[in-house]
Amino acid sequence: MKRIGFLINPIAGMGGAVGLKGTDGNVEEARRRGAVPQAKNRAHITLALLSHDKRLDFVTCSGAMGEETLKETGMQEYQVLYHFKGESSAQNTRQAAQMFLKAGVDLILFCGGDGTARDIFDAVGRYVPILGIPAGVKMYSAVFAIDPVTAAELVAGYRKKSLRDSEVMDVDEEAYRAGELKTRLHGIARTPALAGKVQFSKHIFEEGDEERAKGEIARFFHEIMIPDVLYILGAGTTIESIARELGVNKTLLGIDAVKNGKTIALDIDEKTLWALLGPGQEAKILISPIGAQGFILGRGNQQISARIARRVGIGNIIVVATPHKLRETPVLYVDSGDSGLDAEFGDSVLVVSGYRMAQRKRIHQSERG
Amino acid sequence: MQTKILLDEEQMPKKWYNVQADLKSPLDPPLHPKTQKPIGPEDLAAIFPMELIRQEVTTDRHIDIPADVQDVLRLWRPSPLYRAHRLEKFLKTPAKIYYKWEGVSPAGSHKPNTAVPQAYYNMKAGVERIATETGAGQWGSALAFATMLYDLECTIYMVRSSYTQKPYRKSMMHVWGAECIPSPSTKTNAGRAMLEKDPDTPGSLGMAISEAVEDAASHSNTNYALGSVLNHVCLHQTVIGLECREQLAMVDDYPDVVIGCVGGGSNFAGISFPFAGDKLTGKHKDVDIIGAEPASCPTLTKGLFTYDLADEAGYTPLLKMFTLGHDFVPPSMHAGGLRYHGDSPIVSRLVHDGVMRAVAYHQSEVFDAAQTFARTEGIIVAPETSHAVKSAIDEALKCKKTGDAKTILFNCSGHGNFDMSAYDDYYAGKLVDYEYPDELIKEAIARIPIIS
Repeated sequence: MKRIGFLINPIAGMGGAVGLKGTDGNVEEARRRGAVPQAKNRAHITLALLSHDKRLDFVTCSGAMGEETLKETGMQEYQVLYHFKGESSAQNTRQAAQMFLKAGVDLILFCGGDGTARDIFDAVGRYVPILGIPAGVKMYSAVFAIDPVTAAELVAGYRKKSLRDSEVMDVDEEAYRAGELKTRLHGIARTPALAGKVQFSKHIFEEGDEERAKGEIARFFHEIMIPDVLYILGAGTTIESIARELGVNKTLLGIDAVKNGKTIALDIDEKTLWALLGPGQEAKILISPIGAQGFILGRGNQQISARIARRVGIGNIIVVATPHKLRETPVLYVDSGDSGLDAEFGDSVLVVSGYRMAQRKRIHQSERG
Repeated sequence: MQTKILLDEEQMPKKWYNVQADLKSPLDPPLHPKTQKPIGPEDLAAIFPMELIRQEVTTDRHIDIPADVQDVLRLWRPSPLYRAHRLEKFLKTPAKIYYKWEGVSPAGSHKPNTAVPQAYYNMKAGVERIATETGAGQWGSALAFATMLYDLECTIYMVRSSYTQKPYRKSMMHVWGAECIPSPSTKTNAGRAMLEKDPDTPGSLGMAISEAVEDAASHSNTNYALGSVLNHVCLHQTVIGLECREQLAMVDDYPDVVIGCVGGGSNFAGISFPFAGDKLTGKHKDVDIIGAEPASCPTLTKGLFTYDLADEAGYTPLLKMFTLGHDFVPPSMHAGGLRYHGDSPIVSRLVHDGVMRAVAYHQSEVFDAAQTFARTEGIIVAPETSHAVKSAIDEALKCKKTGDAKTILFNCSGHGNFDMSAYDDYYAGKLVDYEYPDELIKEAIARIPIIS
């Protein structure tokens, strides 16, 4: 029996249809423009597929935050753990998630957008895996299933062994509505992966724990680190595992620098990074694709600016990712803010995915390029 | 417009061709893994019958195929040579493309060409049982068939990732009466050690070889058989190229380009050695011989030409060959038969000397080629074979650009009827383009201080 905590952010996605690029702090305006709630319909698709699964035990929130949808799909037995009144808010999402955590759920299934993912992550961190049914305006976070049907498959086939790391992204909504995309890596959650879906191919080793894959990548880097080269380490757990293997400190979400087996600087901003790249200093950048779309540059690691990337040299940017992550991201993206630099990456990139092993991945070609 | 070029049964080769006779200097000898001194016949006698050991080292140009073996080979040989008219038309190439179809054997690939003589010589030497390894299952099923013919028992260590994913190859082995065990297993010291190190390992050809060699060495009634790499295996496969040369002569042709896919090297050796001999002896100096390998296990294009172990555990002699290192575990891609860290010492030597060359391809592009082939010529080839198809198409497209009407010959080494899950993955967009990151490795090797 698996215990699933289920919640809906009822207002998620409302801003999108009426051109608001996000609903946070804008519900009234969205309603005025004629927006109707999206999340409930999306969640209904997923829940209808799960409503007869006897191995699942649902706990949820009252009313529009979950109960209504469970009822509508004909589910008989579930428990309402969290009651709220009035318009739901981020505060309600966080409190509900905390109740789920206390109730010992195996997985939190939610329907919402990036904001919802962030609120839940703030409440439960990496203690409970989370999976999103996509319904929001922006979905840069990697905790979302591709669509509601896939979300149902992931819940039904969920096993503790097949979890992957997924970035939770923070998007500045004010700036976004003004046409500027400012993303920050907010945290790294745990999310069910599609491991079981490739059972009929020969890729069975990829179904092992993602930690094993990270260990392999780290072991490879331990072998190929070159003396006197400044290594700029990007964010995320794959790069963190490399740092651990090397025995150096590293922040999970920040950019750090390592040279000759020692940490030089932690959580560096762009200017400090530029200063570290003194004359004649050879450097390499280790980065991992970030977010649902798999951005190599330009999302969540904006400290590595276009001038830094140029100074280090594209040939010295080493992309690493686990096979799990790569399976979720068929195409990678580069958006450094310098379209000339983006174009220099060409149409594919080699991504180190194991011990002495890499994968050739396509890079999305923007229309302007 | 002739499509199939067929030889009569009596035109089947009576002798194998040994390219060692035409090498400018002898091969570097195999070395004992412990003493690092050249090994002698007695070192191999525990696991091979003497006639195969003789064939391994001989420099005689021709070796008779025993009449009993010829009788069995006639079940499917001589195999047909096809002119790929429909593929040529589709590609709009001036090139003439021929392919040798080895998928007509009972096991569906070229592998029985050596499985049969190996089983025969073991039977003659009084051996009762043979242990071997198999990657994708092609070799295992071929040896299961051959040992059945001569009443030998057969134990096959099958790379675990294939064992679970290729159930029908395993079923074939059972039909022919062989025992098939997933490797690494708990039956051998080598297998147990590997499982202890890594219980979730997908296995590798190198690991499975260690298990089979240990099994053979520790049972007096048991010998070992290898489906590729070794000189005598390549020798037995030369029937392919010898037939091709006769068949092309029947239509008054000779290849400008000869292509095979390369894992351990045996099917490539089979089609190419007779032509490599023509090149070495100056009869046809310009024939271009190409081995097509996977970018994920690019032994000939990215490996080092050096002495290395042929297996994981270190039971086999050290062979001078192109290698990615015996501890390299290639990723579990679909062309399981090409997942080998090393290569045939003769093929390696010929590539090193420039008599042959190699190219490497990604998984998805070889399946593109395989689809083109299936939709023009009809045959659904094995993922391994698709590498040769891809190379042949590339060469034909080059001809389209230059206007050269070259004659291209490739070995269509086996059918893919048991590999349909690979095609399913291709259509589902699930194929992963693995690639060996050789730049990173080479830069590091070049600059990391060597610690003695």
